[in-house]
Amino acid sequence: MSVKAFELVPAVERDLLMGDKARINIECIECCGKHLYMGTNDCFIHHFLLDEVTSSKGKLSYSVQKLLHKYLGLKKPVAELRAASALERLIVLCDGIVFLVDMVTLETVPSAAGGGAKIRGVTAFCINENPVNGDPFCVEMGVLSSKRRTVQIYMVYEDRVQLVKEVTTPEQPCAVSLDGYFLCLALATQYMILNYNTGASQDLFPYNSEERRPIVKRIGREEFLLAGPGGLGMFANAEGVSQRAPVNWSESVIGAAVCFPYVVALDESFITIHSMLDQQLKQTLSFRDGHILQDFEGKVILASTKAVYVLVPLPLERQIQDLLASHRVEEALILTEGAQRNIPKDKFQILHKRILQQAGFIQFGQLQFQEAKEHFRKGQLDVRELISLYPLLLPASSSFTRCHPPLHEFADLNHLAQGDQEKVLRCKKFLISYLGEVRSTEVANGCREDVDTALLKLYAEQDHDSLLDLLASDNACLLADSVPWLEKYQKYFALGLLYHYNGQDSAALQLWIRVVDGELQDSTRSDLYEYIVDFLYSCSNLDLVWKYADWALQKNPTIGVHIFTKRPASKDQSQLNPDDVITYLGKHSQALLLYLEHLVLERRTQKEKFHTHLAVLYLERVLSLMSKKPTDEEQLTRARERLQALLRESNLYRVQFLLGKMENCEELLLERATLHGKLEEHDKALHILVHKLRDFPSAEAFCTWASCSQDSAYRQQLFHLLLGVYLDGNQTATGGGAGDLEMAAVDLLNRHGEVFDAVRVLRMLPEGWSLQLLRPFLGRAIRASMHACRTSQIALGLSHSENLQLLHDRLKERKKPIFVSEKKGCHLCHNTFSEPDVVSLPGGVPVHTHCVAQRVRDSPTKRQLTNSSNHT
Amino acid sequence: MPEVSKMKKPDVKVVLLGDMNVGKTSLLHRYTERKFKDTISTVGGAFFLKQWGPYNISIWDTAGREQFHGLGSMYCRGAAAVILTYDVTNWQSLAELEERFLSLTDTANHDCIYAVVGNKADLTDPNAQLYQDSNVAPEDQTECEEERPEPQVLSACPTPPASPASLSGSVLHKQVAPEDAVAFYGRILRYKGLDEKSSLPAEKMCFETSAKTGYNVDTLFEALFDLVLPSILRKRNENQESPTVDLEECRGASNKRARSSCC
Repeated sequence: MSVKAFELVPAVERDLLMGDKARINIECIECCGKHLYMGTNDCFIHHFLLDEVTSSKGKLSYSVQKLLHKYLGLKKPVAELRAASALERLIVLCDGIVFLVDMVTLETVPSAAGGGAKIRGVTAFCINENPVNGDPFCVEMGVLSSKRRTVQIYMVYEDRVQLVKEVTTPEQPCAVSLDGYFLCLALATQYMILNYNTGASQDLFPYNSEERRPIVKRIGREEFLLAGPGGLGMFANAEGVSQRAPVNWSESVIGAAVCFPYVVALDESFITIHSMLDQQLKQTLSFRDGHILQDFEGKVILASTKAVYVLVPLPLERQIQDLLASHRVEEALILTEGAQRNIPKDKFQILHKRILQQAGFIQFGQLQFQEAKEHFRKGQLDVRELISLYPLLLPASSSFTRCHPPLHEFADLNHLAQGDQEKVLRCKKFLISYLGEVRSTEVANGCREDVDTALLKLYAEQDHDSLLDLLASDNACLLADSVPWLEKYQKYFALGLLYHYNGQDSAALQLWIRVVDGELQDSTRSDLYEYIVDFLYSCSNLDLVWKYADWALQKNPTIGVHIFTKRPASKDQSQLNPDDVITYLGKHSQALLLYLEHLVLERRTQKEKFHTHLAVLYLERVLSLMSKKPTDEEQLTRARERLQALLRESNLYRVQFLLGKMENCEELLLERATLHGKLEEHDKALHILVHKLRDFPSAEAFCTWASCSQDSAYRQQLFHLLLGVYLDGNQTATGGGAGDLEMAAVDLLNRHGEVFDAVRVLRMLPEGWSLQLLRPFLGRAIRASMHACRTSQIALGLSHSENLQLLHDRLKERKKPIFVSEKKGCHLCHNTFSEPDVVSLPGGVPVHTHCVAQRVRDSPTKRQLTNSSNHT
Repeated sequence: MPEVSKMKKPDVKVVLLGDMNVGKTSLLHRYTERKFKDTISTVGGAFFLKQWGPYNISIWDTAGREQFHGLGSMYCRGAAAVILTYDVTNWQSLAELEERFLSLTDTANHDCIYAVVGNKADLTDPNAQLYQDSNVAPEDQTECEEERPEPQVLSACPTPPASPASLSGSVLHKQVAPEDAVAFYGRILRYKGLDEKSSLPAEKMCFETSAKTGYNVDTLFEALFDLVLPSILRKRNENQESPTVDLEECRGASNKRARSSCC
């Protein structure tokens, strides 16, 4: 639990003070800068000059020089001494009298003319270190007198003291401390705060002054340290509130002081040192016959009855390092943070960071990774400090050197783990997660390469999944350093990715190809071949594509051809010229076929060359399959279907060329028929289909196909042609064949009756055919003609009614009725009307129908007729 | 002398009061460290700063021993909430609250709120005994199975231990019923001269907790924090509106004027 926070250094040795006079005791001390004053029980004041001497080893000691000593002439012990350095006066309490003494000569200052320089009947006094009155040439003093229950406030000047205020207290006060307007008093049974300006008081807490000597010690602005019940050191501010938890002293404490962040207390045999930050006892020093403990401007001085010592605080940094050395991380941090106010800001930040980093490493060494991480983060650790613990992780090119003095005691990870492989593993896992977290943050700024390379090495070594993610994303892994490492752990796929990331696609491909070919072992991807193909089709470097396509095609033409077929369409130079590809694929017939199919069927490239080439390849395949014995019927059928489909659907290939190729081939009649159809040589096509193939459904299908993009007349003609072929054949053929054709003709008529012109058909048909045979056709023909007739009648009727409707509307528009009566005369012939039928001329003038007809016949234009067709 | 550094300035103060051995320190431990561990009798008082959202709440754990009784009113000075703690298995601990501790709260804020908390509920209430603190790491559970440590290390105890040593699991006789606590709460209001209708209702301010199992502990503290929030906001407002200039820095510098070491 102990920290070495202070060192006790002797200042004034016994023989220097009193020589061999045994009964002389030190009663009080005062220190002001280098000047040490001491009051003794024989009414002397001694004046020493105290010089700090630091030895070459950094050890502090004091050299003391006695300047003067002076007898005060009262024969009583000197009870208290206080320096007022601005006045060059010592305020002395001796025999119940306060008076002033010159600091240099130690002569008593005589009273000035206007007022006394002595106060009588005093038990205790204190100086206000934080006076409200700003006059630098006077000192404010609080005085307790032995008789009255009062506290008097005096102003002390060079040669006089002046009473400025007197406040009464509820009980007899026995100790006092002063800050601003606030008096902190120990009364007989309690402590209290008293504002001498307003008179307001605040009880603090009870205690018994008879049992124990009270301590009232100002420790800072409006804050006091008090000896409480049970040996507590209590803090209280001017408002009467405790803002810090108490420290636990012994019951017999004599004196106390604060030397931040410590509370120092003296009892009969020990100096105890508590931290104000966590209230814990930090150090205990044995000190016999302790008598006085006081702090002077931050310097803590102790005295026994015979000698004086200085309690020298060790440098904060050393204390912190001691704590860290004993792995007391929390305490070290509390101490550091607590000292923030006492250290310049920039210096504190550097110290704090370093302590945090050291703390992190201690916790790291204890495998408390969570805490370590937090401290590394807060301490903004250069992450390479951590990486450098792991052998070989930092790239050889890294300029990093460990911070000096070192942040930790470990040589490397092996040293830390002492051969415990499980520990090593846990540390590595921690580093993986830590680097993963920091690599994209500012922590990695300036050492991104080191971080990423280290991470890559760890991933590779630990067979970590994220290796590929690292390489596939933005990274700063150093190639030179990573290559041997990845090779060592057989991460060839990953290495390829790294090559690729560094623009060395060729190296990546070579490596991967060796893996696929089995020269190297790496099971990262079982589909590495497909990956290479994908890589090549998206590769913008055409030289590479040409270089490695051959290997890919040999391996698997079907997948390899994806290099060309899956290439995304783009307009830049990386676009491949299809002609080049076709030339290139010359030796890979299967791939070539697939590529042409891709061009023609998928991309729908409208280029005669490709279509013809594809058709020829299809044809060649069919021919080769046919020539094989025994023929694989299934394959052949499929091959022919493809050929036929292409021949049917494409309009671009060179028909004559293909026809020439299959001229002599008696087996590809259907194809030939299609080609004839393409040339519009429908009679030839049908001849082949009907007579050579006797494939009547195909013939019908041919007619349908050949006329599909033409008008109905063309279609009719084609079907008539087919019918003619059937019927002609029927006449020329003999036997069973003739019957077939006859049936085909009948079927054709019955099935496609609607295409035919029934009248022409009836004329063509042989007389002898039965009606029954053609019933469906005839029935449909009659129905169709009936249907047409009625449809037109309906259309006629509808037109009529529409016309009437329009007339009606028009009449309504004119509104005015046209009156016709037997008494009215026709404007043209002036005869009266005898029947209701009249013609109305423009302006609503009724005339005889025949008169109008007469007039129209006579007029040079017939314009008027169109305008005057309004009947009533 | 160096300026004493101040910690983060607390916005509000909460004080735990109660007889010795009722479990004030354990309650605070359970809440802040999520553990039930050995505690020794608190000396004087202890202090914990809780970061609650944007606010700093200081929680003072006081000593229950008679010896430190005098310090109570100082700790209560300016408190926004006081937790009066008793032991459900010990009638006297409730009686002590009324006799000794209630008067300590005279120094608290005028609008201070009071909670009456019966601790050690696990000893009498099976619910509290079976309660599992969800935030506790597994190893801490085993710790809870150990015998309840009796914080009576100091032989100079002025009063006998509040509850007899007991093995975990045995259900003790409950000496204080919730109604007793509610009645006490009513008497607190009367003591303070507060109108029952305009004050917080007793059912909201009386709790039974178990620092050992964590039962109701978070509920207690969080309910209190919610209730002191207005107090915090008002205090912050006051500080903002204060026309006083903080001259801490200047005054710190003028400290040594009278004692400048130019002799």
